[in-house]
Amino acid sequence: MRGKVVIVPCSGIGKTFGTVSREAAYAVVEDLRPDAAELVALSLLVLGDEAARAAVAEHPTVTIDGCRLACATKMVQESGLPVARSFTVLDAFRKYRDLKPEGISSLNPEGQKLARVLAEEVAEAVDEVVKGET
Amino acid sequence: MTEFLELTVDKFTFRFATDRYYHPEGVWALPEGEGRVRIGLSDFAQQSGGDVAFAEVKPVGTAVAFGDEVASIETMKTDIVVPAPVSGTVAEVNPALEMSPEVINEDPYGEGWLAAIAATDWEADRARLLDPQAYLERVREVAEEEMRKR
Repeated sequence: MRGKVVIVPCSGIGKTFGTVSREAAYAVVEDLRPDAAELVALSLLVLGDEAARAAVAEHPTVTIDGCRLACATKMVQESGLPVARSFTVLDAFRKYRDLKPEGISSLNPEGQKLARVLAEEVAEAVDEVVKGET
Repeated sequence: MTEFLELTVDKFTFRFATDRYYHPEGVWALPEGEGRVRIGLSDFAQQSGGDVAFAEVKPVGTAVAFGDEVASIETMKTDIVVPAPVSGTVAEVNPALEMSPEVINEDPYGEGWLAAIAATDWEADRARLLDPQAYLERVREVAEEEMRKR
C-alpha cells in the first residue's frame, strides 16, 4: 500500500451527504494527497476482507461520515481498529451554511464546493497524522 | 417517567410520548402548569427531516398565534417550518439549540425541546390538537403513503 493514511468514507448509497463524503475522499486521494492517502471501502471492512482490515490495522485511519449515524467510524471501531481522526459532512455544512448540497449521482455546485472544503480539511488532518507518525 | 407508543412502518420505528398533544404537522405541546406549554418536534418529524444542521426559534417575547411559524429548522435534506401548536408568547428558547442542534434528533421529547410558550388560551388550543393515539394514526397514514410512493 503506497499511502500512509487510510481514508474510509461513508457508503450511504442514495444519500446526498454520502455522495459528498465520497467526493471529498476521492479529492484527497486523487488530487490533494495522492502520495499520502489511500481509500479503503467500508463495505470491505464490514465483510471482513483481510486486505482491508490489514490496511486499517497497519495505517492511521481517517473516516468521513455523511451523517450522525457515523457508520464509517463505528464500523472501523467495531472491527477493533483505531480511528485517528473523524469528519462528518454535517459538521462541514454547519461551518459553510451557504454550501447546501443537493443531488445524489451528481452534486450541485454548492455540494461540490462543500466536498472540496471538506477534502481540504481532511488533507490537513492527513498531514498532521503523517507528521505525528514520523 | 414519560411513556411511549410505538409505530413501526417498514424498517422505521417512531415513538410518541403519551403525556402530550400533537399538532398534525409534527409538533408536540406539553402543558407545564401556570399557562406554560413546552413544544418540540415529534420523533416522526425529526426522523423524516433528517440530521438537523441549524435550528432557529423566534426570540423570547415574540407573540405567536396557533399555526404561525415559531421556529425554522434546516436539515441536510430540507427546511422545516415549525408551526406553533399554541397561541401565546415565546417565554423561553432551548439554549442547547445554538451549539448542539443535533439534540433535536437525539432526544426529541426531552433535551431537544424547542421553546416554552406562555399560552393565551391553552384549553382552546388543546381542542385543536391530536392526542397521541390520533397522531400515531395520522403518522401511520402518512408513512404508509410514503412507502407506497417508493
